[in-house]
Amino acid sequence: MTATKVTPLKPAPSPESEAPVAEGKTGARPVLQVNGVNKIYGNGTVALKGADLTVKQGEFISLLGPSGCGKSTLLRIMAGLGEVTTGTVKWWEQDYDVVGSKGRKLAFVFQNATLMPWARVRKNVRLPLDLEHAGNSEEVEKKIDDALDMVGLKGFDESYPRELSGGMQMRASIARAMVTEPNLLLMDEPFGALDEMTRNKLNDDVLKLWQDNGWTIVFVTHSVYEAVYLSSRVVVMAARPGRIVDDIKIEQPFPRSPDFRVSTEFAGYCRQVSQALERASTMGEDKKEAQS
Amino acid sequence: MSTPLIRNERFVQVAAPLLVGVFVLVLWQLTVMAFDVPKYLVPSPVDIGQSLVTDFSSLFNALLMTLKVTFLAFAIAVVVGVAASLLFVQSKWIEISLFPYAVLMQVTPVVAIAPLIIIWVNDTTWALTVCAVIVAIFPIISNTTLGLRSVDPNLLSMFRMYRTSRWQELMRLRIPSALPYFFGGLRISSGLALIGAVVAEFVAGTGGSKAGLAYMILQSGYNLQIPKMFAALILITVTGILLFAAMVWMSDRALRNWHESALKVEH
Repeated sequence: MTATKVTPLKPAPSPESEAPVAEGKTGARPVLQVNGVNKIYGNGTVALKGADLTVKQGEFISLLGPSGCGKSTLLRIMAGLGEVTTGTVKWWEQDYDVVGSKGRKLAFVFQNATLMPWARVRKNVRLPLDLEHAGNSEEVEKKIDDALDMVGLKGFDESYPRELSGGMQMRASIARAMVTEPNLLLMDEPFGALDEMTRNKLNDDVLKLWQDNGWTIVFVTHSVYEAVYLSSRVVVMAARPGRIVDDIKIEQPFPRSPDFRVSTEFAGYCRQVSQALERASTMGEDKKEAQS
Repeated sequence: MSTPLIRNERFVQVAAPLLVGVFVLVLWQLTVMAFDVPKYLVPSPVDIGQSLVTDFSSLFNALLMTLKVTFLAFAIAVVVGVAASLLFVQSKWIEISLFPYAVLMQVTPVVAIAPLIIIWVNDTTWALTVCAVIVAIFPIISNTTLGLRSVDPNLLSMFRMYRTSRWQELMRLRIPSALPYFFGGLRISSGLALIGAVVAEFVAGTGGSKAGLAYMILQSGYNLQIPKMFAALILITVTGILLFAAMVWMSDRALRNWHESALKVEH
C-alpha cells in the first residue's frame, strides 16, 4: 500500500482555501485500525488479503474499487459484522472484548435504506436506541426529533417507509444512524441506487453532517467522482484477491461546494484516482488464488 | 359527477361473482323443471332452499358441531404450529430433526389414521379435533417457519451489530417479518381445518347429539333426502367461504399499511 499525494493541475484558487483540510488531525487518535486482515470464505475464496488501514478521528475515507474487490467485506469487518480469518481489528485502539458494542460508537448505513417496512419512520429511527434499551425519556425523543430535523424529514415521522421516495428513505436510514450519536459512520454504497441529482444532494448533506458533528466516515462507493468529492482520503482496492493497493489524499478544503465538482482540481484528482483504479484492475490478478 | 357503478371496483368484485351464481342457479332450476328431474337425483335450488328452512333445526345443530370441531382444531393448529415454528428457528438442528415429522403429518392421509385416533381418543369431539389439527397444522408450520427465516439480511446484520438478544431479534424483527407468511398460512389452514373436521366426521360416522354436517350428509344419502344432503353441503361450503373471507379481512387489517399483498395500488 502506498500513500500518494496528488499535485493538483492548478493551485486551489477558491476563497475557501483558508478552510481546513480534513485529513485526520495530525496526531489524532486512530478510531479504527485494521491490521493484516485476511478473510477467506469457506469455499476457499480469498475476499481480503493483508488489508491494513488506519482511520483517524475526523477523516472521511472512501473505499473505491471494482466489484468483488472486498470493499463491503472490509466495511462489514470494520463494523464487527464479519469474522476475520487472520489479522486484527481495533476500535479506539482496543479489541472488541474491551471496547464492547456501545463503546465502539459506530453506526452503519447499508446499500439500501434497510428500514422496517411495518414501522413508521419515527419507530425506524429510534430502533438503535430501543435495541440499546434507551427508554422513552424526553432526551431520547429529542434525539429522534433532532436526527429527523437534520436529515430534513421533520413532519414525516408518522409516515411508513413505502410512503417515502428512495432519497427520503435513505435520509431516514441516515437519521437512524445519527440518533446514536456515533463517532464512526460506516456507509456501504448508500446512494448507489439513487438518481444523480438526489445523490449529489445527499452527498452535500452527508458532508455537512460530517463537518457539523465531527464524525469519522468510511464510505464505500463505485464512483470516482463521489469518492473525490466527499473524501479526505480515497483508498483504492483491487480484486482477486481483495486488497488495498493505493491511498490517495484529496488535499482540498472543506466545506466543498458544487463548484468543486467543475473545478480543474477536481478533474485532476478524478484522473489520478481513475488511473489508480485502472492500475488496480490490471495488476496482479491472481485468479488461481480466487478460485482456490 | 358520480362514478357509474360498473367502474366501482368494490361493487364489481361483489356483483360479478354474485351474478354468475344467480345465473347458474336460475339455469339449474330451469333445467330441472324442463327435464322433470326427480328430487332424489338432482334437487332444484328451490327444493334445497325449502329443505334449509324445514330441516333448519337439525342442520343448524350439525353446523354448530362441525364449527366447534373446526374452530377448536384451527385454534390448536395455530398455537401449536406457531410454537413449532418458533422452536425451529432457534436452531437449524432442531428444524432438521423435527421438520420431517411435520411433513409426515402432512403426507399421511387423515382417513387412514382417523380410525386409530378415534380408538385412542375416547371423546368424539376431541378425536375429530385431533384429526382436523393433523390436516390443518402443516401450512401454519411451513409458512411461519419460512417467514421467521425470511428476514432482511441487512436488518439482521444491524440487530447483530447491536448485539441484541434472541428475544429482541424475535420480537422486533422476525415476528413482524413473518406476518405476511403467517397470514398466508392462516388462509390455507382455516379451510383445511374445516375439511379435516368433515373428513373425520365421515370416518367416525358420529350420530346423535354430536352429529356434524358430514354425518348429516351420510344420513341424508342413506334416506334419499337429497335436498337435505345438498343443504348440508351448502352450509359446509358457505362456512368455508366465510372462514376464508375472515382470514383475508384479518390479513388485510394487519398488513394494509405496509405489505404489498394488502396495499391498494392506484394505477
